[in-house]
Amino acid sequence: MQIASAYIRGKSHLMFGLCILFTAVILAVLGMVSGYLISLGYKSVDFALFTQLPVPAGALGFPGGLQNGIVGSIIMIALASLIGIPIGMLTGIYLAEYSSRAWLAGPVRFIADVLTGVPSIVVGILGYELLVVPLGTYNGWAGAAALAFIMIPLVARTTEEMLLLVPRGYREASVALGATKARTILRVVVPAAFGSVITGIMLAIARVAGETAPLLFTALGSRFLESNPSRPFPSLTVQIYHAAMEPYKEENRKAWAGILVLLALIFVLNVTVRLTMRASGYGARAAR
Amino acid sequence: MVKTEQPTAERDRARANREPPQPGTAIPPIQPVLRSLNPDAAPGRNGQNAVHLPTATPTEQSPQGPAIHAELAAEQHVLSTEDFKLHYGKHRALHGITMQIPAGKVTALIGPSGCGKSTLLRSFNRLNDLIENVRVDGRIRFQGQDIHDRKVDVIRLRKKMGMVFQKSNPFPMSIFENVVYALRIGGERRRRVLDEVCEKSLRSAALWDEVKDRLHTSALGMSGGQQQRLCIARAIAAEPEVLLMDEPCSALDPIATGKVEELMYALRGRYTVVIVTHNMQQAARVSDYTAFMYMGRLVEYGPTNAIFVNPHLKETESYVTGRFG
Repeated sequence: MQIASAYIRGKSHLMFGLCILFTAVILAVLGMVSGYLISLGYKSVDFALFTQLPVPAGALGFPGGLQNGIVGSIIMIALASLIGIPIGMLTGIYLAEYSSRAWLAGPVRFIADVLTGVPSIVVGILGYELLVVPLGTYNGWAGAAALAFIMIPLVARTTEEMLLLVPRGYREASVALGATKARTILRVVVPAAFGSVITGIMLAIARVAGETAPLLFTALGSRFLESNPSRPFPSLTVQIYHAAMEPYKEENRKAWAGILVLLALIFVLNVTVRLTMRASGYGARAAR
Repeated sequence: MVKTEQPTAERDRARANREPPQPGTAIPPIQPVLRSLNPDAAPGRNGQNAVHLPTATPTEQSPQGPAIHAELAAEQHVLSTEDFKLHYGKHRALHGITMQIPAGKVTALIGPSGCGKSTLLRSFNRLNDLIENVRVDGRIRFQGQDIHDRKVDVIRLRKKMGMVFQKSNPFPMSIFENVVYALRIGGERRRRVLDEVCEKSLRSAALWDEVKDRLHTSALGMSGGQQQRLCIARAIAAEPEVLLMDEPCSALDPIATGKVEELMYALRGRYTVVIVTHNMQQAARVSDYTAFMYMGRLVEYGPTNAIFVNPHLKETESYVTGRFG
């Protein structure tokens, strides 16, 4: 008895130890990446980065800042969210709530899964063919649409999965009180899952915020502060890409700073949304 | 290994001691139930002094058909089923149930797990529509109207039938919003009306004093018993005519159970209550009529007194005295 229990206890300790070890490995990698970024980028993050446009090599004020890229990325991600989140959420609601008897559900789910894995450069070419060629110019709409296209399957699948986690008792109680299916979904099921759906949406936004490839073929990028999405549109990621390719040290440093700014933007967005949710009472639901 | 065998042997011996007495002798467990049911009736053997004598009430007592006590015929019925069958896919869960639910009374459905009590209860408000592969046959009438008729608006039907579930399921909203949910979906916006209904329903559910100071906090912060009473308040806020309760106390402690039972007692007369329960003492305490179901069939149905003290069928007697099921 003693031997067996010592052996079992040993196995239990081993399992626990392995979990700790690999968690530590992951945290170490995360710490190394962010530590490297911060150590290289922090020196170059200054006020000018946010207030100045990029200046070409040789001109006065070189290398300038990333103002147009920061503003452009924010606008383009906002546009992409406006297109992608509603479509994705509605698709997810359809998959979770309406499709149990529909033949369409299987194909939609499968296509969504395939689309999640499509290389983003392919999405960029699609955007080029559908929105750049017909309009005759690279433009911000095409960039936003390409990003939205990446978001939709991510948002749809997380929404579906989170809605399916909502206890069936909620649906039954609501229907038994005389609510229609649509009301049950809008008033009970979606609010109950809202916290986790928001987490999925945040992940999708973070994913597209870092995308460069689809933007190269669609929004192209611009050296100016642009507010009209019908023209070539600047974005932080494309600017980082170009700055990193330049042979000048100043430009390379700007690229590191840009990456740091991008990370900070996603972080700030995440924290803001979470705090807002907590303030409005959704946080408690998510934590339950 | 040796140690584990001993309790088994003991259990066997204990079981042997509990072997049913010879037919015809009184069954001890009835006595306390009897007293709690009818304090006026002397606990006579074989029901000599009880109100309902098996020989006095003619019934359709046969191996095929259920034993329906004559008292039910005298009641006004609000709900009735006629040869109602229900299939989950190929599995038949209900084998032609014919019964009538008296208006303004508490009717308990008892029977072992899987006997179809909950399925029958959920058929009354057509909640089984939500489940795939459910097929029904036969009729259920509510106030004379066939509820499966194409013309019947199932939303309106469900508004007339409140339901309380086994597991308390308050929505993740404030207590107030939970109670007025039915009104909100009905389009009621007047604050005064909502406030009034909220207070009235919570008072009916004996919950008002406990929660009146925190109406706008999350319902999920309440205790289990409070949550279940909130669900009852939510069901009666819609002013239903029938209250369907599916094992409402199975997840509650005795004190919360007592409160919910008091509530059911208070609701009789105002509402027609149908309650599914595994707890036979509970059925005996709260119900006017009891239906015993087994394997998807109605076995015996009559006044609770009679079912527990003087059942017509041996099967019912064995079940209510705890010898099987």
